[in-house]
Amino acid sequence: MIKNVLTDIGGIGIYGVISICLFFAVFTGSLFLSLRMKKSVADRIGALPLNDGQPVVKGVIHE
Amino acid sequence: MNTNLETFKYDNRIVRAFAIATVIWGLVGFSAGLLIACQLFWPDLNLNLQYTTFGRLRPLHTNAVIFAFVGNGMFMGIYYSLQRLCKARMFNDTLSWINFWGWQAIIVSAAVTLPLGLTTSKEYAELEWPIDIAIAVVWVVFAVNLFGTILKRREKHLYVAIWFYIATAITVAMLHIVNSLEIPATAFKSYSVYAGVQDALVQWWYAHNAVAFFLTTSYLGLMYYFLPKAAERPVFSYRLSIIHFWALIFIYIWAGPHHLLYTALPDWAQSLGMAFSVMLIAPSWGGMLNGLLTLRGAWNKVREEPMLKFMVVAVTAYGMATLEGPMLSVKSVNALSHYTDWTIAHVHTAALGWNGFLTFSVLYWLYPRLYNTKLYSVKLANWHFWLGLLGMMFYVIPMYWSGITQGLMWKQFTSDGFMQYPNFLETVLQLIPMYKLRAIGGTFYLVGAWIMAYNLYKTAKSGVFVTEVEVQAPSLKSQPEHPEEHHPWGHRWIESKPMVLTGFALVAVAIGGLVEFIPMWIIKENVPTIASVKPYTPLEVLGRDIYIREGCVGCHSQMIRPFRSETERYGEYSKAGEFVYDHPFLWGSKRTGPDLHRIGGKYPDAWHFNHMDDPRLVSPGSIMPRYPWLLSQKLETNSLPARIGALRKVGVPYPDGFEATAQLNLEAQQKKIVENLKQGAITNAPADREIIALVAYLQRLGTDIKVKPAAPAAPGAPAPAPAVPAAPKTAQLDTPNQTRN
Repeated sequence: MIKNVLTDIGGIGIYGVISICLFFAVFTGSLFLSLRMKKSVADRIGALPLNDGQPVVKGVIHE
Repeated sequence: MNTNLETFKYDNRIVRAFAIATVIWGLVGFSAGLLIACQLFWPDLNLNLQYTTFGRLRPLHTNAVIFAFVGNGMFMGIYYSLQRLCKARMFNDTLSWINFWGWQAIIVSAAVTLPLGLTTSKEYAELEWPIDIAIAVVWVVFAVNLFGTILKRREKHLYVAIWFYIATAITVAMLHIVNSLEIPATAFKSYSVYAGVQDALVQWWYAHNAVAFFLTTSYLGLMYYFLPKAAERPVFSYRLSIIHFWALIFIYIWAGPHHLLYTALPDWAQSLGMAFSVMLIAPSWGGMLNGLLTLRGAWNKVREEPMLKFMVVAVTAYGMATLEGPMLSVKSVNALSHYTDWTIAHVHTAALGWNGFLTFSVLYWLYPRLYNTKLYSVKLANWHFWLGLLGMMFYVIPMYWSGITQGLMWKQFTSDGFMQYPNFLETVLQLIPMYKLRAIGGTFYLVGAWIMAYNLYKTAKSGVFVTEVEVQAPSLKSQPEHPEEHHPWGHRWIESKPMVLTGFALVAVAIGGLVEFIPMWIIKENVPTIASVKPYTPLEVLGRDIYIREGCVGCHSQMIRPFRSETERYGEYSKAGEFVYDHPFLWGSKRTGPDLHRIGGKYPDAWHFNHMDDPRLVSPGSIMPRYPWLLSQKLETNSLPARIGALRKVGVPYPDGFEATAQLNLEAQQKKIVENLKQGAITNAPADREIIALVAYLQRLGTDIKVKPAAPAAPGAPAPAPAVPAAPKTAQLDTPNQTRN
């Protein structure tokens, strides 16, 4: 039924404009957020995979 | 000493289980691929069995590689890295094992049902509705385990790999559920709730983003964890990873329509897909460079460490594939490449290079650590590397050659304006040497994988499995706030709030889909109706279901693009309004054989009968397998009322009570086809065989627009099915969204 309510697709060009605006907003937003992060924080966080936690040597359990 | 230290154990058992499954299913998936690759130059290789034809095994190969090999590889990497990045054991061990065994059960059920012909025919979503439900349940279990682990973590900060895991978990759930909406007709047969153009848009939104969020984001997460781990240095730029993540997940979701360029999809949707595909280069290459630059100052390790060799090729292949993909999405390039082996080359650059090599890389890194030993043989790993690389080259280069050759041959006209190669088969026979070379490449790749399996097995034998690793970390609450991290609205804040991050990610991936779907769903003009297009007759419905069962869509498109080279070869180009009763759509994505949308009425019924019995009887040199079982198997009609009922539920306007007369309607059409066959000297064809239904469907294809508009059928009633339709008459069509070349 809803098809009979909206029977025109005039002005569909707005979709392209909206898309570009959204992309621009997301891209610049993430750029802004990333630049705002302090280098010391980024360096510390970027090294997270290198730290698995403090090993408990005796705790290695074998099958 | 920190008194807030908590002691806990990482679970390696679940990681090992997924690792073993990855290796086993990888071997199965590659073997299935090699078998069907050989069938393309050796059609009898199905051994005359209906369960082993190209049409039925092709989805088995794609599902095995995507969901079994990469799926298990993804879980393997996530279950290992997530625990360590969160400094926590998985949320719930029982959920971990339900995830594992549930996923394996789904894979086994796929391996059983697909050769049996139980398929929806929608690419990478072929599994029928009971398995779809199981996938949704197991995926939810995985997501609960993922989020549960994140919530009980001891590391405040969510590392970039985890964002990619979150995006994978939520987006795959959304894609799977939306694309799998179907109405069951029987225990293993359903019809998509979408029809024609809408179904195509939803399906390629799904399939494109299955590539994006199943094969890409999850593996990017693995790259961001395992590459720094192996290189023993942090990721090159953490800031770049923020842009990489948000731009990638936001843009990827929009690009699905690039699979439907020049089809009956409205132009605006095609342009949207193309534009976003080109934009996708930026974040993809940002990610690739971030990966490769992580190795700065560590390239000497690449020489010595097989794991890093595989990783470097994987990341490079990711860069190549994500440059090529946008290029193929440019309409002028797509006009040549689409439906050819060029697409096959493209996806295999990504599958063999990015997913395959990255999985091998992680396996080579994990096994020695899981078994607290050294890799059994670096030499064998190097052999695997070079065989795999050579295999990729032997695969991809012939496929480029083949794709461009065939694309150009399809479009070649003589100086007098006639088609240079009017017989489709001529263009296929040119490709046979390339298909043979491709099989050599596949063999190399498979042999390499077997060497890896042996190497990993020997590695396991030489060590002792470390079931759990006991570690200590301070509790989350006890960790002091770093003063320099105080940016209430910075990305650091988002990264410490998993639910906020999930919410933003969900919004990012939902926007693209909604912008594409809403106009398609609610605006009538997007699918111009054609008065003469009627629902399929009962016999044609069953014939269409046989077409789906046999996987014909794997080799034959039903979408003639508006190019002179196509309209000359096949007939009038396809209109959106012709597919309004197609649940599901069967446009296809590859033309190993010719397009079939206007096949109806092109040949007599007897030609189809003989062709299905043995294609080489009527087309010498054809690489299509024989389908003799269609001539002997009785058509199953017991489920006809259920099928009609299900189709009515999804919107096909069969009149109420039509089920009661459907059988009579079917028998009348069967009789007519048997009479037609007699005219073609086939006098012994029983009316109740499957071939009769398939012939009925094939003869109906593309004929509705040739019927004169003043057909006196009652509204909603099925059209009479002319075995030989009336002469073409297409002038009455309104095609506002089409462009001609």
